[in-house]
Amino acid sequence: MIKEFFRNLAKIIHLRSIIGYNGLVFALKKTPVIGKIIPDRLYSTTFLKVIYWIFHVIKEVFKLFVGKIIGLGTIYVASWILSNTYVDYGQAPGITQSDLYASFALLFFFLYALCGILINRPYFRCTTEKEYLVFMLRMNARKLNNTLFIYDLGKLVIGYFIAGLIAIVTGAPIWLWILIPVLAVLIKLSGTGFLAFCYRIKNKHHKLMRSSQASFTFRLLLVSVFIPIIVGAFVFIFVANGSFISLPVMLALAGVVSVLGILGYIELNRFDSGLHRRALHDNINIKEIEFNKKPDTTKNFKKIKANGSVNENKKGFEYLNALFMKRHGRMLVVKPIVFAVLAIILASLIIGGFITHYYKAFGAYDCTNMVIKNLWNMILWGRFEDSMEPFDPESTMSFFRWLIQTHMLLMMIPAAAADNSFKSTQAMFINCDNSLMTFSFFKQRDKIIKLFDIRLKQLIKISVIPSVAFALLANLFLFYTGGQDYPMHYLVNILISVLIGVIYNVTWLSTYYLFQPFTTSLNVKGGIYKVIQVVLGFVFSIVCLIPVNSIVLFGILLVFTVFFIFVMRKLVYKNAPRTWRIKS
Amino acid sequence: MEFVISHLVKSYGSKQVLKDVDFVFEEGRIYGLLGRNGSGKTTFFNCINSDIDYNSGSFYLRENRDSEQTMPLKPEDIGYIVSTPTVPEFMTGREFLKFFIEVHDEIKPDKTIDEYFEYMKIPEDDRDRLLKDYSHGTKNKMQMLLNIIAAPRLMLLDEPLTSLDVIIAEEMKNVIRSQKQGRITIFSTHLLDVAVDLCDEIVLLHNGRLEPIDKSNLGNDDFKEKIIEALRDQEDD
Repeated sequence: MIKEFFRNLAKIIHLRSIIGYNGLVFALKKTPVIGKIIPDRLYSTTFLKVIYWIFHVIKEVFKLFVGKIIGLGTIYVASWILSNTYVDYGQAPGITQSDLYASFALLFFFLYALCGILINRPYFRCTTEKEYLVFMLRMNARKLNNTLFIYDLGKLVIGYFIAGLIAIVTGAPIWLWILIPVLAVLIKLSGTGFLAFCYRIKNKHHKLMRSSQASFTFRLLLVSVFIPIIVGAFVFIFVANGSFISLPVMLALAGVVSVLGILGYIELNRFDSGLHRRALHDNINIKEIEFNKKPDTTKNFKKIKANGSVNENKKGFEYLNALFMKRHGRMLVVKPIVFAVLAIILASLIIGGFITHYYKAFGAYDCTNMVIKNLWNMILWGRFEDSMEPFDPESTMSFFRWLIQTHMLLMMIPAAAADNSFKSTQAMFINCDNSLMTFSFFKQRDKIIKLFDIRLKQLIKISVIPSVAFALLANLFLFYTGGQDYPMHYLVNILISVLIGVIYNVTWLSTYYLFQPFTTSLNVKGGIYKVIQVVLGFVFSIVCLIPVNSIVLFGILLVFTVFFIFVMRKLVYKNAPRTWRIKS
Repeated sequence: MEFVISHLVKSYGSKQVLKDVDFVFEEGRIYGLLGRNGSGKTTFFNCINSDIDYNSGSFYLRENRDSEQTMPLKPEDIGYIVSTPTVPEFMTGREFLKFFIEVHDEIKPDKTIDEYFEYMKIPEDDRDRLLKDYSHGTKNKMQMLLNIIAAPRLMLLDEPLTSLDVIIAEEMKNVIRSQKQGRITIFSTHLLDVAVDLCDEIVLLHNGRLEPIDKSNLGNDDFKEKIIEALRDQEDD
């Protein structure tokens, strides 16, 4: 039997090391740049496997000691401090310090173990290694579970005996050093046995052999809320009053736990291999599988309905784009519209707040006069003027004015938040281009650039809405803080905001054509694309902080945008027939 | 017209999939490209369709064997049909067909859209449904139809009959046969019976090279045995 245990354990550990090592190499191979230089033979390099194994063993040993020493060590130290304090203050007449120590230690240990069995229930959890061994390699599920269980119990006992040295050093009785590891095993048996009992009943009633989400939430609540409350109450009421639970009571509790442990063992013995297999099947670690699986993000793009038609005058690529927008409108326009609406709501709140304040200060007549007068002022001169409450250049609002005068590049932040170009390119790829790409015809330069131009115009049209809304909000601050610095200042701000939006549109669309990073499940593949994203993010975040006078900025942005579009179009025209293709 | 492939080489890292592909395909014939799973059939097509880069070699068109003037293979010369077609999911079959005809300025359609649908036996109630709701077989038919309309000089068919039911597979075979005149058709498959049934010539993609098979005894059991033996010899990479 012992021989069989070690044989099974060897199989498990071997598989665990293969999964761990291969997983590590696989992750390295998927890493941009590094992945390209890592050869396939790394999977079979014995030397590296040995190194991995050494680290694996160190990790196991670390887990064995650290957890146990921290958990049990804290219990022993707390018991030692409490028992010392009680004796020093004469709170425990008729009981020795070592018995008092044992009483406290047992109480804390039971609470600690209760938390453990409520949260940590690995016996029937089906990890990847268990899944391979049972469902692919047809290993006996009961033998597998029991082998791992005994292995865990062995580690527990060793760890607890080592941690128990703290108890010996701090004056605990020797029997406590032996009793606690034994009790730990019995508690594990009782908890696991109870779980097996519940699963057996569930199976009898043809239900899935797994804990419900509600049960998990309840247990989590119990551990994170109720047990700390009990411990707190014990410390602040029980200990503060110098009370304690006598050792015979704690030993009686230990006796009950022992009986439960034996019952748990009997239950586990009754749990046959078929039940083990089914329990594992029902407890396949979904999260682990989901974690290892790349997410399928295409679902959100598949919610299309054949609604509406487009203008009959539209032909060819114009027709394609019009249909695309018709069927993806909600998907692509909602985000920019939401941001535009938020900006408008904020502007309305500012206007509303300002008028309300004025109304309270000067009454309805003056307030109406001020509104009408300033509407005219805004239309005719673009200036805010009010003799009763003129703008104070020393007020904190001047800070916003300064920002709008010299830091309009900060518009890049809201523009980036409202920009939907990346999602648009995803929709283009998954619902349209991955089909067009299979036809060589569409890879002709003139065809590619024609569609590129149409799409760029479309993206600009979408981004103009939030860009204008953001600029209006900025202009509102400018107006209330004295008005424009020069004629057409408001218009310049609007154009700056629009140009920033256009730069984002061109960036996303051209990088899509030049690097086509998407796989057919819409995951981003391609190290260069990721690097470019990071570099652009860094550059944009630096650039947006540069102070530039708004009229100068407008001139620079206008020239830059025209130049940028020209260069990107050239690059797309030249390279896209080669780069705009399905990732194999 | 001939399609000439000269010393085409394609490697993935250290693994050489196409070692030295050197072959001449002739117009008006259907070539069955036979190879085992993983032999490089799709890689071969992807190289020709410029979906992937190749390491060395070239391919071009020429009028005939004696002609010295070669013509580069342009994107519009190629029709590529894959086994699992992807279609623009947001369009209906009719909309896609309309768009496709409109963007091909050079096409002077001799049929109406509905006549094209009729030709491919695409049911009436499917024509105004989104392509995403089409069955696998109907998507395949759409893909074939578009390639017929585009009338490419070189048609690459990458296992187009895989997972089609017998009726649709038979319809597709008839369409392929009817479209072979005036173009070069290369039909890849790993199914020997399909290749023997449909193709005029059989070419093995074997150890990264193309090898013609003498088809004088096409159809008899010895011929099949010979091909199986040849394929079995393939080096396991």
